[in-house]
Amino acid sequence: MIQFADVNYFEPWWAQIVKALVIFGIVFAVLPMLTVYERKLLGRFQGRYGPNRVGPFGLLQPLAEIVKFAVKEPFRPTTSIGFLFRVAPAIAILTAVAALAIIPWGNVQHIFGTRFGLYGIDVSVGPLYVFAMAGISFYGIMLGGWASGSKYSFLGSMRAAAQLISYEVSQGLALVGVVITSQTLSLTGIIHAQRGMWYIVPQLLGFLIFMVASFAETNRAPFDLVEADAELVGGYFTEYGGTGFVAYLFAEYVNMIVVSAIATTMFLGGWLIPGNPSIPGWIDPFIVAAKMMIFITLFIWIRATLPRLRYDQLMSFGWKILLPLATVNLLVTAIVVA
Amino acid sequence: MSAVLFFIAAIGALAGAIGVVTLRNPFYSVLALVCHLVALAALFLLLRAEFVAAAQVVVYAGAVMVLYVFVVAYVGGGEEYQAGAALRVLGPLFALALAVELCIAMLGSALSGIGGKGAPYVRGFGTPREIGRLFLTSYLFPFELASLLLLVAAIGAVVLARRRRGLDDPELESRLLHTPRPVFTGTMAEAAGLPRIVPELIEAVRAGAELERTDAGS
Repeated sequence: MIQFADVNYFEPWWAQIVKALVIFGIVFAVLPMLTVYERKLLGRFQGRYGPNRVGPFGLLQPLAEIVKFAVKEPFRPTTSIGFLFRVAPAIAILTAVAALAIIPWGNVQHIFGTRFGLYGIDVSVGPLYVFAMAGISFYGIMLGGWASGSKYSFLGSMRAAAQLISYEVSQGLALVGVVITSQTLSLTGIIHAQRGMWYIVPQLLGFLIFMVASFAETNRAPFDLVEADAELVGGYFTEYGGTGFVAYLFAEYVNMIVVSAIATTMFLGGWLIPGNPSIPGWIDPFIVAAKMMIFITLFIWIRATLPRLRYDQLMSFGWKILLPLATVNLLVTAIVVA
Repeated sequence: MSAVLFFIAAIGALAGAIGVVTLRNPFYSVLALVCHLVALAALFLLLRAEFVAAAQVVVYAGAVMVLYVFVVAYVGGGEEYQAGAALRVLGPLFALALAVELCIAMLGSALSGIGGKGAPYVRGFGTPREIGRLFLTSYLFPFELASLLLLVAAIGAVVLARRRRGLDDPELESRLLHTPRPVFTGTMAEAAGLPRIVPELIEAVRAGAELERTDAGS
């Protein structure tokens, strides 16, 4: 029987705090490198070098940018609503970071005689937690766009509202197939259930639906209608500069990490590797990170490859193709499992 | 610890609920309702109903309220709605009736819950597995009834939102879509050498459609 976490089920209270700090620290140390990675890769895709001036190979570029953003004067349009304008980016980054908590980085380990799970917490509702956080993070985008008091921001946030609702359904239904197959919602439980076969094989359709919907949920190309620079300047964060802008930017990257991690957990077997050889537990997080990098590279690759959709194409694709496909996938899975 | 969390969540829920009815701007009312629902989810979490808490946030805060915000942000900000005289009298009456009813229900339990320790925690309580089992065994009929209700609502929405026949002539609409602009203002149509639609022509088309409609009617 898989152990569901009652929170602190077997861990001392200080372990929770240490784990939270470590996960937060590592992710936020990796985030700036991810922006460099994306820009260098995009540069190569477009036949140019990408950032290569600051530090060796341009690796210190984000450092220079963070300093620049941090010392910028925080100003806002006169038509904006001060309180909400400041709170909105905080909501976006807060919910994105909160979703990091349930990502399973590794199996339960014995360290100094105590058992530690290499994950923040293992909640019994699993993916629903991520969806709950995504549901709240929407308000970060929505309020930011609305409180800016500018037409472009407003249009961007309106697009976000319609787009996030449309694709959330398909994303959720695609995961239900996995949940039905593994008979548990606990993310570590789902990974243990993939010991025989990774779910990308029996749930290939669900995997594809999940990935497409995830591109839309994270507002990444080709579904970045929310921040379409050709039409809306910058979408919901048009009026943001300095730290507010960085908060939105990092929230988008954290969301990308979370989605990659969920895809790794649900479809690629998390920390498992083919053949299940016995390996020391400290390698687990590196395996998970390597699998996540595949998805992150895919995100960047797609951004460099595909043009942006038109808005009506986005909507009809979400409701008329993706949702029926997800429903059929769910039904077939349910029948096969039953 | 749980007492502190309870009071934070309870104050949040009450403040949100009061905000919904007192704030004048509908947009802020909706935001207050979101705060209320999230605080309620925290209360569910304290009761170890993890699934209910997650569903509360996903369904209400994440989907239903998003549509509210969407609609209010689009059409909100108009003049305030003035309640009629009948509503102004009936409103407080209904509120009073509800308050009395709640008081009767609460006092009727002799406040035994205050002194007691509450129901003991059973392992597995509040997990999706347990809730699913209850839905499909003890509460199957209400569950199916609720699904039917939702289905009716969904079909009703589609029927109401459907484009009614006979109101618009789609052909006329497509012809009118080409808004005419003065000659030599550099329209795409001009560049492509397409025939330009002049206002007189549109008037003629419209009149023709009117004529056809009255013909068909008579």
